[in-house]
Amino acid sequence: MSKFISSALCLTLLLSIPAALHSAKIFPYDFKIEELENGLKIVSIPLDNPHIISFYTIVRSGSRNEIESGKSGFAHFFEHMMFKGTKDVPREDYDDFLTLLGAGTNGYTTDDFTCYFVVFAGQENLESVVKTEADRFINLYYDEEMIKSEAPVIEGEYYASVSNPSRRIYETLRNTAFDLHSYKHTTLGYLEDILDMPNQFEYSQLYQKRFYAPDNSILLVAGDFDHDQLMDYVRKYYGPWEKSNYTLVTPEEKTQTKQKRAHYDWPSPTLPRLAIGFHGPAFSDENIDMAAMDLLAAVAFSSSSALYQKLVIEEQKCQSFFTSFSDHRDPFMLIFNTVLKQEKDLPDIEEEIFKELERLKEEPVDVETLAKVKSNLKYSFANSLGTTDGIAGSLAYYINLTGDPNTVNKVFDLYEKITPEDIQEMTRKYFMTTNSTVVTLAEGKER
Amino acid sequence: MKKNTFYLLGVLILGLLLFFVSCTQKSSDRLKSELLPIEGNPLVSFRILINVGSANDPVDKEGLCHLTWSILASGGTQDLSFKEISQRFYPMAAYLGLNLDKEMSVFTGQIHVDNLEEYYSIIKDMLLKPGFREEDFIRIKTNQLNFLERTLVSNMDEQFGKEILNLAMYEGHPYGHTEAGTVESVKSLTLEDVQAFYSEHFVQGNITFGLTGGYPLDFPAKMKNDFSTLPAGHTPELVLPEQKVPDGFEFVIAEKQTPATAMSMGFPVSLSKKDRDYFALWIAVSHFGEHRQHVSHLFQKIREERGQNYGDYAYADHFIQGRDKFPAQNYGRQQQYFSIWIRPLANSNRHFALRQALFELKKLVQNGIPAERFELVRTYLLNYTKLYAQTLGERLGWQMDSKYYGYKDFLAEAQERLPKITLEQVNSAIRKYLNFENLYIAIITQDAQSLRDILVADTPSPISYAGPKPQEILDEDMIYEVFPLNVKSKNIRFVPASQFFQKTGVPDSE
Repeated sequence: MSKFISSALCLTLLLSIPAALHSAKIFPYDFKIEELENGLKIVSIPLDNPHIISFYTIVRSGSRNEIESGKSGFAHFFEHMMFKGTKDVPREDYDDFLTLLGAGTNGYTTDDFTCYFVVFAGQENLESVVKTEADRFINLYYDEEMIKSEAPVIEGEYYASVSNPSRRIYETLRNTAFDLHSYKHTTLGYLEDILDMPNQFEYSQLYQKRFYAPDNSILLVAGDFDHDQLMDYVRKYYGPWEKSNYTLVTPEEKTQTKQKRAHYDWPSPTLPRLAIGFHGPAFSDENIDMAAMDLLAAVAFSSSSALYQKLVIEEQKCQSFFTSFSDHRDPFMLIFNTVLKQEKDLPDIEEEIFKELERLKEEPVDVETLAKVKSNLKYSFANSLGTTDGIAGSLAYYINLTGDPNTVNKVFDLYEKITPEDIQEMTRKYFMTTNSTVVTLAEGKER
Repeated sequence: MKKNTFYLLGVLILGLLLFFVSCTQKSSDRLKSELLPIEGNPLVSFRILINVGSANDPVDKEGLCHLTWSILASGGTQDLSFKEISQRFYPMAAYLGLNLDKEMSVFTGQIHVDNLEEYYSIIKDMLLKPGFREEDFIRIKTNQLNFLERTLVSNMDEQFGKEILNLAMYEGHPYGHTEAGTVESVKSLTLEDVQAFYSEHFVQGNITFGLTGGYPLDFPAKMKNDFSTLPAGHTPELVLPEQKVPDGFEFVIAEKQTPATAMSMGFPVSLSKKDRDYFALWIAVSHFGEHRQHVSHLFQKIREERGQNYGDYAYADHFIQGRDKFPAQNYGRQQQYFSIWIRPLANSNRHFALRQALFELKKLVQNGIPAERFELVRTYLLNYTKLYAQTLGERLGWQMDSKYYGYKDFLAEAQERLPKITLEQVNSAIRKYLNFENLYIAIITQDAQSLRDILVADTPSPISYAGPKPQEILDEDMIYEVFPLNVKSKNIRFVPASQFFQKTGVPDSE
């Protein structure tokens, strides 16, 4: 075995990053897409970096799929159960396998999908990773006792961020803004549902049958491997995975007709916070709505915008100010977040945001600023592609939305086409006071 | 002709004079660089390392280093306001980041080569020609105060616990205040203090500029030339007092209304990555509590077997999480500490979990690591560390840290040394550097008086579960719940959370 030199490890990977901004497509790597008979889609991105491989499994199920009452947080809970092993490879053996591999591994759950990754060194380990991952997705085994044992860990995860007011205001905003859709709750879920998780053994099996299936999952592999070799392993080990054929129908949210408001009294000293959400569009790589909103957020509310400069840098009424117009499979929210320095300024800041939106309905953004924003989006994306993990993670985000890895290129093509008039039209369409939910949080009495 | 001769002679004399001045300047007073060129790479990554940190804060001016460097990273230059900088950074997706620790600070940035010249022209002025505007000073100082008064004590209990451990471990020591300082000291800081700190410490000998990526070949010379306009000189390395060993279990409890208890505990250790023994202790602590990995023994015992919280870890030296779960770089310290981090858990289980962690530590110290775990964990480290340096910034950061710790390449050194370590060396390092009887323990919880009472009385602390548990776990619980801690009443200080960080050190107990 050749002597390990850490500096050699990444050298070729770094050399291999194409100048993304100068290629025709924003995602500059070639990828291959294949699909097994059972519906499992495989996206492979062979790279010429030595050693490192990122192996991602994307299950297109997140808290959006928690449509039944009392089941909030279940997608995230099930992510935890996915580490419990199988009859052939019990949890302890699975842990030892990953330990010997020295893998960077974890899972995370979002509103729309759950992602599992194993990042490891050595092409010679690819088959064992494919085999072990296939085994746990096909043959996961746990009993009721293991459900009862794992559920308190979720409670612990809830406690890990219980002192964070940002989490609380986000939970309150979603709970207030949505009436029917499962986006009403966060991925962590309501505390009462978390406390009931020990009793959800039967539901966990139903959840697994519905969503942990090849026709609802995508493998995404990036790094130092041979595509044909990968496919041989995938066919061999994932071939027996049975389809689900389940179709999820998420509740449709009724159109909001009047503004909603809520306030949270934080029981200890904190900076006051304001969150304003507007019901927005679902993600699309064909319609311009969401792409126009992305550009609007950057033009009018990013750190270079006039409003940010006024509130954060010049008047210094806000400590932070940012938008969260995140992509979702179903219509979600366009959210403005700010942390203020003084509670008395809450009404003023709210007014400033609404006033700016009204101005943007009347005045199109200037072309030069729009060009700068498009530039920022491209360079930001290029900066994210520095590792196999960065490449796989960036693509995973877009694949989840449509199931198609080409989505990332389509979205950036859309950005190029959007004009100031498009943005103005979308601003008028979504930013109506009646469509808004305003939540404040400030130091108050204990609750 | 004669005129030309005089001119040449003048140039020669001037050159000799400059050469002489340069030779008489100590190497420790001059600018240093770490370069890692990668031809053809479209990105360039910067790490501008300053061998000065919060331990260099003058007494009664704690937080000054944090404030000064923050004004460089988030303030205007002599020519550009911060608003103008933000607007010029934005199309390039550019930033100037800052990481600050006790004895080291680093400014970081990454830029596409398309924008290298423009980006560098801005950050160069941010660092070399700071504007020190009153409005930047007020904005950044206010943020720092808000962090101390509200955010740290009220909105981030996990970090709060780690900071309390630091206060307890380093009372009366230059490390003994949070990097942001104290409310009292920060309130007293003036713009003149900031300018004086900059003049004193932002000097050539304190600075190593690191560069990697696809920068032009002549770029380092240009950067060196620019940064050489700073005054020569350096800040002498701090002479630190001996680290204070706790007398038994020394508790500091921050009391607040909370449904969950956060705990951090530890003690100073007399080694760092510089030492040969580090590699053996690294295996031991990785076994005991590798950060956010299933291999962690504490994680298995507290979370996996009993579902008490989200995770439980241990560290052989100061650890800051960087990308993903990997260690961040450029947090080098002369003095180090061992620590255990118990993430928040239900208040009802706080006494049990504390006993459990301390019992497991005792077992580790007395018995060493099990033979079957030794090979597993060593192989784990050999493979896992191959993932440490994947980004440009990480590569450069490890190269700089390698130099700090006295290696050509620390990660390569690990690959060389780890396979040669024996189980006996690991257990010997455990016995030499770890202990289970003398720890500082920081706790954030509610009803502190009640916790104090049961700690002093050594009351049994049974645990209950939502469902059945295997008999071996229940048997082990019986041992944990009565594990004697022998806590002395005088060794428990409890203080309302809101009183922390007002002044240096642990506030007076109630």
